[in-house]
Amino acid sequence: MNAPWVEKYRPQTLDEVVGQEHTILRLKRYVKEGNMPNLMFTGPAGVGKTTTAIALAKEMLGEYWRQNFLELNASDARGIDTVRNDIKSFCRLKAVGSPFRIIFLDEVDNMTKDAQHALRREMEMYTKTSSFILSCNYSSKIIDPIQSRCAIFRFVPVKGHQIIKRLEYIAEAEGLKIDMAAIESIVYFAEGDMRRAVNILQASSSAGEEITEESVDEVVSKAKPKDVKKIVNKALDGDFIGARELLRDVMVVQGTSGEDMVTQIYQEVSKMALDGSLNEDIYINLVESIGETDYRIREGSNPRIQLEALLTKFLINSKAD
Amino acid sequence: MLWTEKYSPKNFDEVLGNVKLKDEILNWTEDWLLGKTSQCILLIGPPGTGKTTMAHLAAKEFSEYIELNASDKRSYDILKNTIGETSLSKSLYGDGLKLIILDEVDGIHGNEDRGGTRAINQIVKEGKHPIIMMANDPYSKRLQSLKPKCNTLIMRKVHTNSIVALLKKICVKEGVEFEEHVVRNLAKRSNGDLRTAINDLEVIARGRDKITSEDLELLSSKDDIVNIFDTVRTVLKSKDPKRIRAAMRVDSEPSFILEIITENIPKEYEKVNEIQSAYEKISQADLYLGRAFNTRVYTYWKYAFELMGLGVALSKAETYKKFSRLTNSSIFPKLSKSRGKRNLEDKVAEKMGQKLHASKKVVKEQFPYMKIMFQNDETAHELATYFDLADDEVKLFRSRKIKVKKSKKKPTKAKKTTTSTKKLSNETKVETSKKVDVEDKLSSNKKSSSQKVKTEDKPVKKSSKDTENEKDSEKTSKDSQMSLFNFNK
Repeated sequence: MNAPWVEKYRPQTLDEVVGQEHTILRLKRYVKEGNMPNLMFTGPAGVGKTTTAIALAKEMLGEYWRQNFLELNASDARGIDTVRNDIKSFCRLKAVGSPFRIIFLDEVDNMTKDAQHALRREMEMYTKTSSFILSCNYSSKIIDPIQSRCAIFRFVPVKGHQIIKRLEYIAEAEGLKIDMAAIESIVYFAEGDMRRAVNILQASSSAGEEITEESVDEVVSKAKPKDVKKIVNKALDGDFIGARELLRDVMVVQGTSGEDMVTQIYQEVSKMALDGSLNEDIYINLVESIGETDYRIREGSNPRIQLEALLTKFLINSKAD
Repeated sequence: MLWTEKYSPKNFDEVLGNVKLKDEILNWTEDWLLGKTSQCILLIGPPGTGKTTMAHLAAKEFSEYIELNASDKRSYDILKNTIGETSLSKSLYGDGLKLIILDEVDGIHGNEDRGGTRAINQIVKEGKHPIIMMANDPYSKRLQSLKPKCNTLIMRKVHTNSIVALLKKICVKEGVEFEEHVVRNLAKRSNGDLRTAINDLEVIARGRDKITSEDLELLSSKDDIVNIFDTVRTVLKSKDPKRIRAAMRVDSEPSFILEIITENIPKEYEKVNEIQSAYEKISQADLYLGRAFNTRVYTYWKYAFELMGLGVALSKAETYKKFSRLTNSSIFPKLSKSRGKRNLEDKVAEKMGQKLHASKKVVKEQFPYMKIMFQNDETAHELATYFDLADDEVKLFRSRKIKVKKSKKKPTKAKKTTTSTKKLSNETKVETSKKVDVEDKLSSNKKSSSQKVKTEDKPVKKSSKDTENEKDSEKTSKDSQMSLFNFNK
């Protein structure tokens, strides 16, 4: 029984973690001292926040780390009550076999402000027995009282040469036939996201014997949300309702996230600007609108509504043309 | 004098509808006047059906009456003092009985009118005086204890035809010319509420000599809005802040109102800059809804409401003189159609998330890659086993079933080969994949006719073509982006 490679090749120790050298250095100091404050890991997806948290727990807590480590997903746990109950029943007991207990709370930025305030109380209550590691994508979404109770570590996108090294390691372990162009292509599409890089690698390997630049391209294009080009063209042709219906299909039925959609739309538009099918002035106006939409998706309540509003900007540009 | 007062029935004969009930109240009144004590009456019915009218008509028969309604404070003491005394002592003037009218007994407030229900219960129990009580909601909890002690009478809505007849009579008396359908429309929209019907008529007819269908439109804005589409129509058709604010007072979730307004913007507005500007307001409204949700500061809602209402309304240069059919958002049928799939995705994502140390959201982002990995029989089997996926869950990633028997042997082979040299492993892989092909064909031949094989082949060919196309477009996009990047440098 084999795990998917993202799990199979997840670094098990702090030394193995790819990138984040400064963070790792400081964390190792905590291990040496045998003590740590509450920590907050912030950074984009797939750069090693969870991996580092688990590796740190293992080294910090030693042999009995499993019994003294609680991993919770703030966004999946139904409501703050579940989180609080889980934390309470875990922290009430004293650590056995380890110096203290560690609670790893993932995606804290998806918790409401109310829930965060409740969490802050829990953090204060159990300082003697437990340490918290919180992780989030955007630290701006975390209330100040929590931020001030944590040592904050900023995780950065993994650098290209580091991803290459890791991919080569996996390729050798799996006995893959892969050339440098293919690896570089994966690195390009991964955009510093290690999880995506490994997933592209495994998907490419499952498709054929030999991994080439072309097979990587194929995997990536297959994995992309469909019909984005159609949506953009429909809107540019002035068929707003048609474009809107298609967008709704892609988002609701295919289940594409707002963030993915906005990235795809941007890529589509910049492609059109380059092959000359889109006027430069229009293009730069659209970029402004797309950027604003990207921001509003994170702030607003319904990403689809924001993307529909973005499509209206395409209409105006088509008329001006 | 208001027309509702002016034309209210002067005696029981003039009361519209509820014939049986009328007789019952008349008999009840006579009983009391003849010196017989009788159970008190509880009149239940929707507004405008004549409850208060009936009570007042009955009151005329008695020498005195006292009335309390929802606007009075009805705490235990007040009720006891005002009514309790009355009901225990006979009237000072003559031997006349005092009728007690308690309006809106189901509206007695739990906290402010503390003990109100208890006081009423007591008075009803011991009272020697006739009591009539009125209520709207037959299922109100506050009526539970009262009902068994009273003669409960249910008032029905007044029939539209009866309302039409009365409205016509009023028009004639007021000297107003009318079109039949206008009066009928008034009657219908009142939904059996006579008071509303007369009020509406007064609004459009008072001081005029003629009413037309145009007057009806004027009414719709003033009306309490019951329907989300009335709200949307007003937002899209009007530019009058007052009317729009009134229309936005619809009893629905803000996100739902936003959805329906949004849906209909391009159906009413035709100019591109209007659609764009309206959508900008919608986008801003959504921002405030998001902020309200994230911070739990729901006072942000007021900005969202103003933006999606007045903001959208003012985005048009002029009101369109056309009739556009308003529709529900296409998002709802899409959502219900894909519910099964989304539930399955959630279930699988949760299962996988526990092994992958990730939330459902993060796992779902990996689904597209999983789909590609699952096309490979061997990997599919491995992953399905690792995540402990059931057959129906595997369907999320591949349409064909995984051939368990054959692939069960393979992993052991594969494991051995990975330890050996690269070349060897590649060779064995080729062999196994060939085997799979042969076995595929064999099994499909066994299972079904050659037709099925054909149908299986076709989509495969198609998909390979598709992927080629996609590949090409992908390549160009990547190239172009790279060159853009260089250009910027």
